[in-house]
Amino acid sequence: MSPALKILENEVQIAALLFMGAVYIVRLIWLFRFKYRQERTFAEGSEKAGIVYSLLNVAMPWGMESTRKKPGFYIQFVIFHAGVAAAIAATFIIPYFPQIFEVKVMVYLFQILIGAACLVGLMRLNRRLTNPSIRFISTPDDYLSLILMIFFFAAGVLAVPNNYRRAEWPLILFFGLTAFFLVYVPFSKICHYLYYPFNRIFLGKTLGHRGVLPPRKKTSSDGPAS
Amino acid sequence: MKEKGRGMSRKKRDVPEAVLSPLETNSQAKAREEKLDSVTRGRLKLYEPGAQNVQKFLTLLAQRMTRPLAASLVGCVHCGMCSDTCHYALARPHDPTMTPVYKAEQIRRIFKRKMDWTGRIAPWWVHAGSPESDEDLNRLKNIVFGTCSACRRCTLNCPMGVDTAALVRFTRGLLTELGIVPEGIFNVNRDQWETGNQMAVTEEDYLETLKWVEQDLQAELGTSDLKIPLEKENCDFMYAINPREIKFDPRSLFHAAKIFYLAGETWTLPRFGWDQTNFGLFSGDDSLGAYLARNVYEAAARLQARRIVISECGHGYRSTRWEGYNWADYEQTLPSESVIITLLRYIREGRIRVDTAKNPEPVTFHDSCNIARSGGLTEEPRWVLRRVCSDFREMFPNRTENFCCTGGGGLLSMAEYRPLRMEVAKIKAEQLRTTGAKFVCTICHNCVDGLNDVIKHYKLDMKVVQILELVEKALIL
Repeated sequence: MSPALKILENEVQIAALLFMGAVYIVRLIWLFRFKYRQERTFAEGSEKAGIVYSLLNVAMPWGMESTRKKPGFYIQFVIFHAGVAAAIAATFIIPYFPQIFEVKVMVYLFQILIGAACLVGLMRLNRRLTNPSIRFISTPDDYLSLILMIFFFAAGVLAVPNNYRRAEWPLILFFGLTAFFLVYVPFSKICHYLYYPFNRIFLGKTLGHRGVLPPRKKTSSDGPAS
Repeated sequence: MKEKGRGMSRKKRDVPEAVLSPLETNSQAKAREEKLDSVTRGRLKLYEPGAQNVQKFLTLLAQRMTRPLAASLVGCVHCGMCSDTCHYALARPHDPTMTPVYKAEQIRRIFKRKMDWTGRIAPWWVHAGSPESDEDLNRLKNIVFGTCSACRRCTLNCPMGVDTAALVRFTRGLLTELGIVPEGIFNVNRDQWETGNQMAVTEEDYLETLKWVEQDLQAELGTSDLKIPLEKENCDFMYAINPREIKFDPRSLFHAAKIFYLAGETWTLPRFGWDQTNFGLFSGDDSLGAYLARNVYEAAARLQARRIVISECGHGYRSTRWEGYNWADYEQTLPSESVIITLLRYIREGRIRVDTAKNPEPVTFHDSCNIARSGGLTEEPRWVLRRVCSDFREMFPNRTENFCCTGGGGLLSMAEYRPLRMEVAKIKAEQLRTTGAKFVCTICHNCVDGLNDVIKHYKLDMKVVQILELVEKALIL
């Protein structure tokens, strides 16, 4: 392995990761400086139950009409994010646990996951370009974020065999993109995952308090309405 | 609204052609001339053409921002999943300005330009932009007031948990503070500030109507014992009503009073603080919301009532039961409940007896957005309906997934947006038609009017009823 690749896989990644972490901390401080109104009412439901339901909502495609009616879209979501997780895992496995990718099955598994996510990324890009409503609200950041992800996945598929003796460029491409990502993500829409739990907690807390979430058990003709 | 790198062509394209109303209105001019108390005290805001409205808007935006709103503003990924959940977007699938995400983007882009790092440094990159003139603010007004009933259907269907309805209400509140508000909303705000009730009912009219209802009830039940109690202390509950029940449709109050009498209830109406409706919810004006809610809470405290019962009204229930305490910073000390809970209790405890055979026609139920999605009452009305109707049938979707009556969010009071409202009501009309029911029951006065408009416009063979009416009809005397 060339010294340049070694630095790219280690020091550069760590520096970029630290940068991202620092920006995220500042972002969270920024978010938490906004006021939060105290609830003054008697509860009808449980805030805790509402928060738990709201957070687990992501794993309950039947829970929302929008995902229930579009199972294909939900499956795409799962594949895309499984691919993200696999690609991120690969950025740690390659430099720190390379023995894992010495097992062929693991390489194939990661390639399938990341490759499928790459395909979903292309489908999502197509949707963003062809659906007038989505195109209308799409920003350059939306497009770049998606295109970057597609390239990142493609580079990931090539990089996971970790065969630097044969060619280093797939690894350089993958880790170069990763470093860029780590620096760019906090300023792009990709950082949605940072805010996601807070949005779900705020909504779950409010609607849990009122007994809206989790959805109430439907009454039968004779059952109690409580 | 201009953005770097985005010219006027987009600006023109962005304007929903279906909704246009002017900045200045006769009502505001009249309020200024008459030097209304609410105006001189700075409660009711008037539009001032010469004021630095854009700057004020941006300052208010920063001052009023809360953590949940900020999270909703930064959390959207533009996935577009909300589009298929909004009756505006569903009815106008080829109009991208009707999607919830587009509507939320109108405040999001301003927020990004003023408060978000990327939007401040490279606005074109994230479509951040700031309003530049009062006309831009007027355009924003037409979007947040005219193309959204704040039904919260998109909120519950957002994978990210973005509360678009809350963003719409927040934006409405900023504009209301500048007097940039539809005339209908302004008029009701004015009446609520000036008289404490949304229909400017005078105390004389109020007392007269109560007397008239009382006499009718005495005649019907053949007893002079029956009273509509006013300002009675230490009752089981204080009843808070919708001014519509005084001014236009006293049948609701008639039915309620009859049921309370037969249930042997001790209850009262207050002399002041009886209006549970609250246009602070629709206009986004928290100070108005707090004032009206506090009137009700203080009346109940003054009368030492053991609880507050809220008559059939969606936004009134949400405002009085939930939002009002928070707007008013008023710690809840008394239980408050919808009258539907009171009815349920009477039936369950055998305090009134009902017979399903007295309502033999097919009845369906329309869940009010504010009661179901924002209030959690979905099963109680059904429990009651199954005991007073012999042919109760669900409409689909229902409960928290039901579609708005189309009159929510104060839209009934905004005549300028009616053509669009009626156009997008085709979703609701189809939902109603499919049930095959002869009656659609709702526990919201606003929905009564909204549904009546839909039924009339789409020529449906259906009538709107309220649950008190059905329970009263089913009574075994």
